[in-house]
Amino acid sequence: LSGLFRNVIGGKTLTKDDLRQPLQMMETHLIEKNVAREAAVRLCSSVETDLLNQKTGSFTSIDATIRDSMAKALTRILTPTSSLDLLRNITRTIEKPDARPYVISIVGVNGVGKSTNLSKIAYFLLQNQLRVLVVAGDTFRSGAVEQLRVHVRNLTELSRRERVGSVELFEKGYGKDAATVARDAVAFATNSGKGEMLYDVVLIDTAGRRHNDTRLMSSLTKFGHLANPDKIFMVGEALVGTDSVAQARNFAKEFVDTKGQLRNNGVGMDGFIISKCDTVGDMVGTLVSMVHATGIPVVFLGVGQHYGDLRGLNVGWAVDKLMK
Amino acid sequence: MVLQDLGRRINSAVNDLTRSATLDEKAFDGMIKEISNALVEADVNIKLVSSLRKQIKASVKFNELPARANKKNIIQKAVFDALVDIVNPHQVPYNPKKGKSNVIMFVGLQGAGKTTTCTKLARWYQARGFKTCLVCADTFRAGAFDQLKQNATKAKIPYYGSLTQTDPVVVARDGVEKFKKDRFEIIIVDTSGRHHQEEALFAEMQEIQAAVQPHQTVMVLDASIGQAAEAQSRAFKEAADFGAIIITKTDGAAAGGGAISAVAATHTPIVFIGTGEHLLDLEKFNPQSFVSKLLGMGDLQGLAEH
Ligand SMILES: Nc1nc2c(ncn2[C@@H]2O[C@H](COP(=O)(O)OP(=O)(O)OP(=O)(O)O)[C@@H](O)[C@H]2O)c(=O)[nH]1
Ligand SMILES: Nc1nc2c(ncn2[C@@H]2O[C@H](COP(=O)(O)OP(=O)(O)OP(=O)(O)O)[C@@H](O)[C@H]2O)c(=O)[nH]1
Ligand SMILES: [Mg+2]
Ligand SMILES: [Mg+2]
Repeated sequence: LSGLFRNVIGGKTLTKDDLRQPLQMMETHLIEKNVAREAAVRLCSSVETDLLNQKTGSFTSIDATIRDSMAKALTRILTPTSSLDLLRNITRTIEKPDARPYVISIVGVNGVGKSTNLSKIAYFLLQNQLRVLVVAGDTFRSGAVEQLRVHVRNLTELSRRERVGSVELFEKGYGKDAATVARDAVAFATNSGKGEMLYDVVLIDTAGRRHNDTRLMSSLTKFGHLANPDKIFMVGEALVGTDSVAQARNFAKEFVDTKGQLRNNGVGMDGFIISKCDTVGDMVGTLVSMVHATGIPVVFLGVGQHYGDLRGLNVGWAVDKLMK
Repeated sequence: MVLQDLGRRINSAVNDLTRSATLDEKAFDGMIKEISNALVEADVNIKLVSSLRKQIKASVKFNELPARANKKNIIQKAVFDALVDIVNPHQVPYNPKKGKSNVIMFVGLQGAGKTTTCTKLARWYQARGFKTCLVCADTFRAGAFDQLKQNATKAKIPYYGSLTQTDPVVVARDGVEKFKKDRFEIIIVDTSGRHHQEEALFAEMQEIQAAVQPHQTVMVLDASIGQAAEAQSRAFKEAADFGAIIITKTDGAAAGGGAISAVAATHTPIVFIGTGEHLLDLEKFNPQSFVSKLLGMGDLQGLAEH
């Protein structure tokens, strides 16, 4: 096998032929890390463009040169163009004179971890002394309301003990139109305009839906209009394979504003939460697949089932895992 | 539907090849590469794809084919056989018997669809005349018991669980004992989601298993799972020795190759597939007819008889 990576030591001008086999191996490597083939192919071709007709550095093999270039390509794709400082955004929004609650909603396919990661975000906000209203916008799945009620009860207990913010549940049971529930919740949080607002942040859960169900998908557009969230985060699951690409694209395209433009400068949503990273070892390719498909940044990683198991994305950490 | 795109693509790769004027080795290799890409895009484990590729090459032996051989048939049969081989585990699943207590325990990764599928399966047996019930041994996930309770109530199936007991082993044992005493024939035990990286969760699964002594342990797998499918399913197999697989969410757009790879890695039969969020969205699975559907090769039925 070592023959494949001819260890040309320095000063070699790279041709398509030199690159073909090692790039093929690199593509396979990325796919093993659960990067969708589509994204792996595109990354490899950008590395090829990058390296074609370049001279390898002294004492550097083709292999090392490709690895280096791929690490850079991955870093480029994963690094957000503008940083999201959620807390600062929130603080600005809830400041007087025109203070209003900051609205975040969570969307995604079935069972990926929407409700759990919403609760983790609530915990994070509580630690920052904010008043949080959790909205049971999943009015369909059995137990969805009770699931959030338990989380809110636990979080209330924790915040009392840790003397941090406060949290409450807004729910209208099952069967109601989710967009209407969300709109009413936001109105409730603002105290219906009758003086001081009651909550700083409104966190809206939604029902899981498959991205090839056009009826359920198109109801997201109405949801976007009625709830009018400041941020829409999509949960993508680290376990998911190639489907993550279509999941990301199909959710993003539902979020058009009232003028028919895709939200957030034409990308639709504001960020991904990649859940269940603790279940895949080094195979964290989903985050590459989803960012590649949409240009939407990863804002959080879910790394476990407890409230503290939420991280910001450390690009270096992710690239290390992918290149291992 | 799961694997249908894959089937279409494989089929067209084979057809393109056999229709082309020059059916030489280069064209044959090209077809194998195209099939491999289709499999990879369907999330089939990448190592499995490379062994499939070798298997097809070895069974066709392109260089040695006599000039007059019906190359199309030989190639189609090789591809077909290789695929059937993956989904056909050569193992017979447990078949519940009437008049005795059959305990079925569900295991799987977080969010795979266990709780939803438990009730679907209970209803399936109930509709076939079994006295059926459900036990909720998930004491971890928020709202897990409410979820099972609401589903069971809709399906009119007796259930057992606890809002106060936090040890799932105790709940599982008590529930199964109670229902056995009441002569239930199908007792389905739902458990929490878990993954092999967390040893304590796997130990808990084994304790529940020891406590309820299931006749069948079922692993539930999400059709959209990618390259992690193999490692996770192997670990579950080692720890819980499940004897059947149910693939859920096949109504989604995922090709299902990851779940298929889990079947290949664990030599365990798929017994049902989940086709939606509702109670009746469950279908019995048959590997042979599945692959012929997958390949869209109605005309090849004859080849499948083996
Ligand atoms: N290991 C691990 N499990 C997680 C993580 N996030 C969520 N889960 C688990 O995944 C399962 C599903 O989580 P939910 O939050 O109910 O998922 P959901 O997307 O709201 O599901 P639906 O509302 O049914 O579509 C639960 O067992 C969670 O504990 C994570 O980061 N790591
Ligand atoms: N579209 C579709 N959704 C499904 C199917 N089976 C389950 N689901 C959905 O997947 C989500 C997760 O299902 P659960 O039954 O809660 O999964 P679980 O494995 O019990 O989850 P944990 O107990 O947290 O590990 C829910 O939103 C279900 O409605 C299916 O066949 N098709
Ligand atoms: Mg949920
Ligand atoms: Mg469950």
